Amino acid sequence: MTLRVGIVGCGKIADEHVFQIRRIPGCAIVGVCDREELMARQLSERFKINGYYDNLDNLLEKTAPQVIHITTPPQSHYELGMQALEAGCHVLMEKPFTITAEETKALIRHAEGKGLKITVDHDEQFTHAAIRMREMIQKGYLGGPPVHMESYYCYDFGNQQYARALLGDRTHWIRELPGSLLQNNISHGIARISEYIRGEQPEVIAQGFTSTFLKDLGEDEVIDELRVMIRDGRSSTAYFTFSSRMRPTLRAFRVYGERNALFMDHDQQTLIGVRGDRFKSYLEKFIPPYLYAKQYLSNAHVNMKYFLKNDFHMKSGMKKLIESFYRSIRENQPAPIPYREIILTSRIMDDIFRQIKY
Amino acid sequence: MSTDDIINDNDRVLITGANGFIGTRVVDTLLRYGYRNLVCLMRPSGQNSALMKIILERGSPPIEICRGNLLSREDCDKVTEGVSVIYHLAAGRGVKSYPDAFLNSVVTTRNLLEAAARTNRLKRFVGVSSFSVYSNLKLRRRDVLDETCEMDREPELRGEAYCYAKVRQDELTVDFCGRNGIPYVLVRPGTVFGPGNRGLPGRIGIDLLGLFLHLGGSNRIPFTYVDNCAEAIVLAGLRPGVGGEVFNVVDDDLPTSREFLNLYKKHVRRFRSIRVPRAAGYLLCSLWEKYSSWSRGQLPPVFNTRRWSNDWKGNRYSNEKLKTRLGWKPRVSFPVASKRFFEHERGL
Repeated sequence: MTLRVGIVGCGKIADEHVFQIRRIPGCAIVGVCDREELMARQLSERFKINGYYDNLDNLLEKTAPQVIHITTPPQSHYELGMQALEAGCHVLMEKPFTITAEETKALIRHAEGKGLKITVDHDEQFTHAAIRMREMIQKGYLGGPPVHMESYYCYDFGNQQYARALLGDRTHWIRELPGSLLQNNISHGIARISEYIRGEQPEVIAQGFTSTFLKDLGEDEVIDELRVMIRDGRSSTAYFTFSSRMRPTLRAFRVYGERNALFMDHDQQTLIGVRGDRFKSYLEKFIPPYLYAKQYLSNAHVNMKYFLKNDFHMKSGMKKLIESFYRSIRENQPAPIPYREIILTSRIMDDIFRQIKY
Repeated sequence: MSTDDIINDNDRVLITGANGFIGTRVVDTLLRYGYRNLVCLMRPSGQNSALMKIILERGSPPIEICRGNLLSREDCDKVTEGVSVIYHLAAGRGVKSYPDAFLNSVVTTRNLLEAAARTNRLKRFVGVSSFSVYSNLKLRRRDVLDETCEMDREPELRGEAYCYAKVRQDELTVDFCGRNGIPYVLVRPGTVFGPGNRGLPGRIGIDLLGLFLHLGGSNRIPFTYVDNCAEAIVLAGLRPGVGGEVFNVVDDDLPTSREFLNLYKKHVRRFRSIRVPRAAGYLLCSLWEKYSSWSRGQLPPVFNTRRWSNDWKGNRYSNEKLKTRLGWKPRVSFPVASKRFFEHERGL
């Protein structure tokens, strides 16, 4: 049976959703909507989608979708999510899931109460490298639960022109988020930690400040540098770093166990195993570099293999996530991202924003 | 200022995108023509140094600089109040993102036109578009591409968000103005060059992994120097009897791609380039397009036969209509224009 999919919000990220949905067999986009009808029309025209509407009510009524992708600015996620669930649709929410942990919990409770699935587009947890990392951790490579994690999620303003466009427009939706720029960007990096941290109420210590780059542009409200320390009840710890000035603009995750560690680089799609054992004497200076070189070479081969198999699209993680989500709907299995992780990510973000006093 | 102009020097004139590459020159030309009642709309953010420089050079006339966002209907109402002519240059240049380009070109134009319609005193709306809206698929090499050519009917297949947005913007302008009785003119510049617009245009070639592929060969490049282009735009808003017309803007004495590339290398900097024969360029674009389609976007469809046709087929261009109907002539000759451009490039 073909799964009927609708999309709410026809901005930039909606294009990516359409691209990936169209690569998945057994589903069809039956309609799109945006409160600016011209935007809905351009999306439907470019992708030859029949129905376009200027509100969700009409989309639901006219096209009877089974799944709704919500790709609007985060301020509207809760309300639109509730509306879609109320209409009996499963929901895939663009990140960040909602504005607050309370909203997150309410949405998930509502979905569960209705027997519907809901998930969030943390697609970076479904890239090839992220999946390999998960498999290795599950196989016990770390030698037990993570002892410590480091999640880097850096951001490049690109040039002053882009920064000015965002910063100068006081009504830009990103500025109106409780956590501003950070709220729209850090959830990928926080979600990686949420996946592996234990306990539901981790301790969060956050420091945020405005970089000199932004200050030089006359901006003193938007925080673009963030350092966070997280500790769970069983003493697993994590550092989270968000920076607009750090180079390279790392998007990476490092997880250390009692025996070994794993370093994943999202942009390069590399996963490197770091041995905890040491070679004797001078051998430690010579052998590990060769072993790392071998691993990097192997990563390059793996990436090329995926490319040649036509499975290395820039948003390959999104396809995997959507595919898994649709499968969970068809087979009535748990959604691909555990609800605990979604709630924990929201909770940690709430704690961060509370401390850096937006 | 000419006595034939549809407005006089007291009439209020709005210029959107007034701090942009062409916008500043449009303001300068209007000031040179004697129009002083100007409203210059700029984005809420961004520096206004380019515009301020022009204003200072012209003796600081009391022109109005407004910060605003054309996505805001309130801002549109505010800036169109009492306006007789609108020069609409603001556009979304989101190179990769279709929605961004569309939002900042089409939706903004719709908002501006709706506000203009409410004022009920607009004498002309000048929409600044681009050569990229044309389809030359039915033209042969060396055929003349002019205002009679059809617009691309499937601009979404070109792989260029800007082209798609500009086609839809022009369609919206024609439709809206027709329905609401707003007199309009569309101006479609070719490749605008001059100090402030860096690098070599795509019609000459592309930089691929550090190697410059020269694809233009012996094609004439539809250059228009920014000052010449600005003058054409200004005239399109002033001259009587041209409502509903479209004007392409190209200069005289257009250089070939090869000539311009050689001049650039001589006067700006030396770099390695490889001449790609026309057939090979077409084949590369065709293969890229097919792979992109087969792989469902593993490589984005940025190179395709439509783009090849538009950028590298090699048509000829005409500015006859511009000269006869608007009385335009390029004030800056190509040798002078290129000298200024190269000097600026060298100084960067």
